[in-house]
Amino acid sequence: MKQQIYTCELQQSTRLSAGTFELALSRPRDFTFQPGQRIRLLDRYRERDYSLVNAPADSSLRLCIRRVPAGSFTASLHAAATGSRFQFSGPHGYFVFRSTSRPAVFVATGTGIAPFASMARAKTRGFTLLHGVKSPDDLYYADLFHATAGTYVPCISGKASTAARWFHGRVTGYVEKELPPGTYDFYLCGRTEMIRDVTWLIDEHFPDSNVYSEIFF
Amino acid sequence: MKIYTGGGDRGKTGLFSGERVAKSHLQVEAYGDVDELNSTIGSLAAVLPTKGADIGEQLRLIQSDLLHIGAWLATTPTAQPTALLEEFAADRVGFLENTIDRMEENLHPLSGFILPGGHVSSAAAHVSRTVCRRAERRVVALMEQLGSEQLPESWQQVLRYLNRLSDYLFVLARYCNHLTGVDEPLWKS
Repeated sequence: MKQQIYTCELQQSTRLSAGTFELALSRPRDFTFQPGQRIRLLDRYRERDYSLVNAPADSSLRLCIRRVPAGSFTASLHAAATGSRFQFSGPHGYFVFRSTSRPAVFVATGTGIAPFASMARAKTRGFTLLHGVKSPDDLYYADLFHATAGTYVPCISGKASTAARWFHGRVTGYVEKELPPGTYDFYLCGRTEMIRDVTWLIDEHFPDSNVYSEIFF
Repeated sequence: MKIYTGGGDRGKTGLFSGERVAKSHLQVEAYGDVDELNSTIGSLAAVLPTKGADIGEQLRLIQSDLLHIGAWLATTPTAQPTALLEEFAADRVGFLENTIDRMEENLHPLSGFILPGGHVSSAAAHVSRTVCRRAERRVVALMEQLGSEQLPESWQQVLRYLNRLSDYLFVLARYCNHLTGVDEPLWKS
């Protein structure tokens, strides 16, 4: 089946942290998606997938992007001027929220937070969110999650963190030592190593839980 | 881009519906067999006779169908994610039946058993046929375990499709020998 290609315009680029920025793109009228799904930005030679961070009803499409050192694709996105046109396909993926009787635990590292921002903006509530970052500066969308999560646990792995309101360590440490025993629906989005390690912990400590994962780069 | 996480290094895997199960789980065996079938069909497509361009297109459609089937088999029927799956419709069985009928118009009626073999493409089609039968048996076992009366209609269509696909592959094996002028190996009892 041939994918429909959409064209959009850059409306705004916003700095989120030292290495991360958010793009707001005009939304094609006939484009729809479910919270947690991705779009695939295309240029002549390359393509990159990004999860949308906005709610489906919002007028703009928003992407949370980490600048990849020596990465020319993200560098070109970062340097793009307002009004620049992009092509994309989508929506892609099945990493969408599935409401069940089991409590939901969202686990993200870095910009892997993106799909959860979309879900929260689309009125998903009551979830536990673990967001693993090196520095508190990378806790983008913290206000959103303070307002929407049942439990919001920033996990700061860098040395700079001393504040008591954060968990000091990696998300794996929280899952292993702090998360109460139970049967959950886990949603994992982030680096491959995190997904592997948390999956193993779930197998060991939270049997009969469900796991949905999305690798994020 | 890394395609691996290592999450399955300890013998478990995740179903599309989220459950973590042993890799020996019947559901995994079933979609694993369908995956193997898909691979053998890819091998078959790579050795088709040059006269079989339309067969190549048929096989690509079948490979897409098998991916679709794999998604259904990887989803526990009572789980909510079945709502994310596209229905596996009865017209896919009709597609196989039409192509079987068209090929058979060119073939002599069978007068006895044939041995799998002949042209390399025919031999490959027989391998696919037998893998398809194994996949079908595994799906039957899985449906019995799950309670077939409660399964969505798409599961019934998957079963019909696999049954008809074996027939298609049998006829295709004969048709490949026909296209290449290779005599069908007959069983001399």
